[in-house]
Amino acid sequence: MSALGESFFRPRDLGEACARVADLVTRGVPHHVIAGGTDLVVESHLRPPSTVAPPATTLVDVSRVPELVEFAVRGDTIRLGGGVTFLTVRRAPALAPLRVLVEAGKDVGAIQIQARGTLAGNVVTASPAGDGVAALMALEAVVGLRSVRGERAVPLRDYYQGYKKTVRAADELVAWLDVRVPAADAFQSWRKVGTRLAQAISKVALAAVVERDGETIRRARFGMASVAPTTSPLAHVERFLEGRAARGLDLAGLDAAVDADVSPIDDVRSTAEYRRHVARALVREVARGLAPK
Amino acid sequence: MKLQVNGVMHEVEASPTARLLDVLRGPLGLTGTKEGCGEGECGSCTILLDGLPVNACLVLAGQAEGAEILTVEGLAAGQLAPLQQCFVDDGGAQCGICTPGMLIAAEALLRRNKAPDDAEIREAIAGNICRCTGYQRIVDAIKHAAVVRAGGAS
Amino acid sequence: MIIGRSVPRIDGHAKVTGKAVYVDDLPPRPGELWGVTVRSPVAHGTLRGIELDPAFDWSDVTVVTAEDLVAMGVENLVALIEEDQPILATGVVRHVYEPVALVACADRDKAERARAAVKLLIDPLPAVLSLDEGTVVQKKYRIDRADVDAALAASEVVIEGTYRVHHQEQLYIEPQGVVASWHEGETPVVHVAGSLQCPYYVHKALKKAFHLVDDAAARVEQTVTGGGFGGKEEYPSMIGLHAALLARKSGRPVRLIYGRKEDIEATTKRHPAVCKVTLGCKRDGTFEAIKVDVVMDGGAYVTLTPVVLSRGTLHACGAYRFAHHRVESRAVATNTPPNGAFRGFGAPQTIWAVERHVDAVARALGRSPIDLRRQNLLQKGDLTSTGQVLDVSVGGQECLDAATKAADFDRRARDLEAWNAAEAAAGRRKRRGLGISTFMHGAGFTGSGEHRLKGKVQVDLERGGRLRVRSASTDIGQGTETIFQQIAAEAADLAFEDVSFENPDTSKVPDSGPTVASRTVMVVGSIVQKAAAAVASHVRAKAAPGESFATAGDRLLAAGDAETKCLVQYVPPQSRAFDDATYQGDAYPCYSWACDVAEVEVDLDTFETRVLRLFTAHDVGKAINPVLCAGQVEGGTLQAIGWAIHEAIVWRKDGSIANARMTNYIVPTSVDAPEFHTTLVEVPYPNGPGGAKGVGELPMDGGAPAVANAIEHALSADLRWGAGVLLPDLPLLPENVFERARRAEVVS
Ligand SMILES: Cc1cc2nc3c(=O)[nH]c(=O)nc-3n(C[C@H](O)[C@H](O)[C@H](O)COP(=O)(O)OP(=O)(O)OC[C@H]3O[C@@H](n4cnc5c(N)ncnc54)[C@H](O)[C@@H]3O)c2cc1C
Ligand code: FES
Ligand code: FES
Repeated sequence: MSALGESFFRPRDLGEACARVADLVTRGVPHHVIAGGTDLVVESHLRPPSTVAPPATTLVDVSRVPELVEFAVRGDTIRLGGGVTFLTVRRAPALAPLRVLVEAGKDVGAIQIQARGTLAGNVVTASPAGDGVAALMALEAVVGLRSVRGERAVPLRDYYQGYKKTVRAADELVAWLDVRVPAADAFQSWRKVGTRLAQAISKVALAAVVERDGETIRRARFGMASVAPTTSPLAHVERFLEGRAARGLDLAGLDAAVDADVSPIDDVRSTAEYRRHVARALVREVARGLAPK
Repeated sequence: MKLQVNGVMHEVEASPTARLLDVLRGPLGLTGTKEGCGEGECGSCTILLDGLPVNACLVLAGQAEGAEILTVEGLAAGQLAPLQQCFVDDGGAQCGICTPGMLIAAEALLRRNKAPDDAEIREAIAGNICRCTGYQRIVDAIKHAAVVRAGGAS
Repeated sequence: MIIGRSVPRIDGHAKVTGKAVYVDDLPPRPGELWGVTVRSPVAHGTLRGIELDPAFDWSDVTVVTAEDLVAMGVENLVALIEEDQPILATGVVRHVYEPVALVACADRDKAERARAAVKLLIDPLPAVLSLDEGTVVQKKYRIDRADVDAALAASEVVIEGTYRVHHQEQLYIEPQGVVASWHEGETPVVHVAGSLQCPYYVHKALKKAFHLVDDAAARVEQTVTGGGFGGKEEYPSMIGLHAALLARKSGRPVRLIYGRKEDIEATTKRHPAVCKVTLGCKRDGTFEAIKVDVVMDGGAYVTLTPVVLSRGTLHACGAYRFAHHRVESRAVATNTPPNGAFRGFGAPQTIWAVERHVDAVARALGRSPIDLRRQNLLQKGDLTSTGQVLDVSVGGQECLDAATKAADFDRRARDLEAWNAAEAAAGRRKRRGLGISTFMHGAGFTGSGEHRLKGKVQVDLERGGRLRVRSASTDIGQGTETIFQQIAAEAADLAFEDVSFENPDTSKVPDSGPTVASRTVMVVGSIVQKAAAAVASHVRAKAAPGESFATAGDRLLAAGDAETKCLVQYVPPQSRAFDDATYQGDAYPCYSWACDVAEVEVDLDTFETRVLRLFTAHDVGKAINPVLCAGQVEGGTLQAIGWAIHEAIVWRKDGSIANARMTNYIVPTSVDAPEFHTTLVEVPYPNGPGGAKGVGELPMDGGAPAVANAIEHALSADLRWGAGVLLPDLPLLPENVFERARRAEVVS
């Protein structure tokens, strides 16, 4: 097995990491930022056969950059370092209120992947099947992008621009993700329909955070994986629900809203028809959860 | 490069960008850790990195510098550890290729949870594919080992 | 008694400490090269030539093509049943991934690049990619007993159905591989060590290709093998030949180990099949006549297809009593990689069909699937489709009773109904169901197979009163090593620790026949027993009064006593000869029996199925080591469940595989697997050691139909799909069940 790269750097802090990446970008040196490696190393393993050796690549390991692996609770916002792993999300008591993310974390791969895989890695990989991304969307995450040029905040909903296309510039690191802590009585749910019950890629997954005033839906936020070129919110569904009574929802109208939000395809794991059917069913399941019998 | 493996510090000649799996199996000669897929799916390369189970095929050697690594070779101190003994006695290993990774995943569980139930055990080893056993005997062996570790009857 | 005790497995210590040496763990030898295989990207085509990229530095790369074989005087043939499969393609390629050239280089990365630098010039030809299009028949069989047509015409009820099954990948966790070296000299010797099931298959293939006369000119050694399930039965011959060719041409040792992707793509899989079943019975459910039409997809070369088809044919009427049988079967060639041995060996395919069909009949008659099975299950004294009288070790009924009792079937069924009703009332979407299957599996080689094989085993006395078992039966996880030691110790009346097992190495063990067909314990074990008993009784007979076994043994060894070694050849028990032309007679020395009860949970929206519990009873004659035996049952059953609800090869239109990764070829994890409740039933077979018969393959036969039956049960209250079999085809992926439901217009 060939080594993934040639040079290896392990910046001590975020500033050094940004500086290193900026320098590599300016000099045009092929490089990768690596955190848990659970996407990056797999991709290199899948490199198509070639008669020439891959270009020498420089790796910048951010897996132990202190600012990235921390998190902080600030009122009704929690700032999650980009290097926070799914296992940390599952285990840290302070993060328990983010139920939808905790539940999604349990469904990412299995424990080995959760121990290494990071939130930033999940966001940057930009897979249509990003489970963490779906949950972060439901939590209205804002992405903190940091470079030597400064820092900017982009709502996760606006971060993706198409299949594997994002607003992130080459020299920017995902420093943090700010999420909104749902109200204590908020409805939060996570449902993943994968190829199996663990070590599975989502065929469809749905993260939901819904807040109510009595019977009325005040705020509904969703993230859905594997039904569109990017993991995405369900804008039509959200608009459909907000302001309505949770009981006695017009299910046909709800289905139509789902249809407007998804554009599933056939691939090696599932079919477009099935995905559409399941997408509707998962949204209906949330609706049922909002108004249990 | 320096790697701390099974309690011993090793100087190794290897690129920090090599997979930790290759460094363990190659220069360090620790071939107990297996490769079944090379992409994080099968778990047969599972090791503990600072106490957490990870796939050595997805970790770069340089990333493990400064961390404590435990491989299957580090489980037995003189005689078999209870986990190992229970795997042998209870039918937890058949062809054995998944066993080193399975033992490490189980070790990670038992360090945190002294008396796991079936569901917790199954979840802890869900990243370790076994094609031989059907898992029941592995689950039983881990449960048995938990009892032995707690000082119960073997 | 050592037989019947769950002695901890001998190789357990090495396996739990990481000391067991698998092929990839062998230390690199000086000068060793890394070998890779260049494969056809085309399913069918004319191979016009092979070009080496002139821009590539070939100076330290060894390349072997079919032309080199000619130059080296090597016969371009992988010796097996038919002489149709080349080691490297010439003239024509017949499937995607067919080996065309070999490359080796000391630098592994460079070897991989060199693979990409070999260009194959192929003109595509039309390709046959499914068995429905197959016209070239590789093999056919026919069983015709009594008068099926007249019986069907006279039956009160006649039901017909068609059932399909798909490919399955073995997915042993250790990919295939060997290390080979070639020693020139007065008599050249080729040495292959690797992950394999049948050392003598590889040995035969090497001898044939390299025209080696002397048995000692080829040495094949098994390394600790990380699973096989049939996948390492015939394919290692191919890899062994490839590595040996590279070693011969380069003069260096060669390591040729597949990556996961290549292993899934290129190696053999379970044969897909279509079976059409027509069953005639009385209104009271008594079965009378059965007609089964079987078509299997053999793939591009014959390999083991005739034997797989044969077993499928012989199991096509299931575990039930009929007075009239007809089975017509054929295997057709397609331009897909050859299908080959996989646990069950053709039986799971036809048993799927007949089990599903029995469920269809039960539904048509308004009978419970259990009662209908109980009514028609083969009993002692009954005749099989080959006219074999079942006179010994017939445990079907016991298994049915044991499994349904373990499941507490009636109570469980009532509880499930209540559970489902509560779910429905609460507006929740999960439903549970119970399903059953009963099945049998012929133990040992079919018909005259064992007569032809003449399997041998040797037991040697060693110093200190110890015995050494020499056999080519490999331990690929099943526990052969441990079980043979138990059998030998018991037969010799020695302690378990006083027996050891020689590593299967053709220079050290006789040809015991292949490690296949659930024959290892029953057939080879029985001669281990004989040989061990013979040596031990010789020592005891020669011992002076008061002399210990060890002392007497050492004395005999020092004196060069020839009877301290005993080579025994298997002699099949007297039986009604099997007629290969009519397919009548005793097809197998005996059968192993089983019953599975599956409890599943199905989601009415997503059609995901989870098998919650699996109650199984297996009649194995005698469980020599109950822990190991139950491990076989559970592992095999989980493979069957995987085949049913998770696993599927996704073929592209060009005949290549789209999901050759463990990420996308889905086998069950620990959280997908059911809780197993295993009962071992023991209806002894007098000719097996301690009464044992085969267990290896049987568990693969019944899991899928039991799960299918349970899924239908779970869905029956909510989705009224009408009578008839709802789920005739594997796999039962959620998408497929959804598709069925949608076609029946029960979901929008
Ligand atoms: C077996 C297996 C199972 C999996 N299961 C799931 C699953 O169930 N659900 C799911 O969503 N995903 C799954 N994944 C994918 C993967 O684990 C996740 O996407 C994970 O979050 C990636 O994080 P990482 O830290 O390992 O990323 P890496 O591989 O280290 O990096 C991924 C990408 O992100 C970039 N990157 C990493 N950190 C930063 C940063 N701070 N700033 C800028 N760029 C950065 C890297 O340069 C790279 O391009 C699975 C992967 C494997 C191998
Ligand atoms: S080899 Fe690392 S997970 Fe399979
Ligand atoms: S024992 Fe063979 S894969 Fe687990």
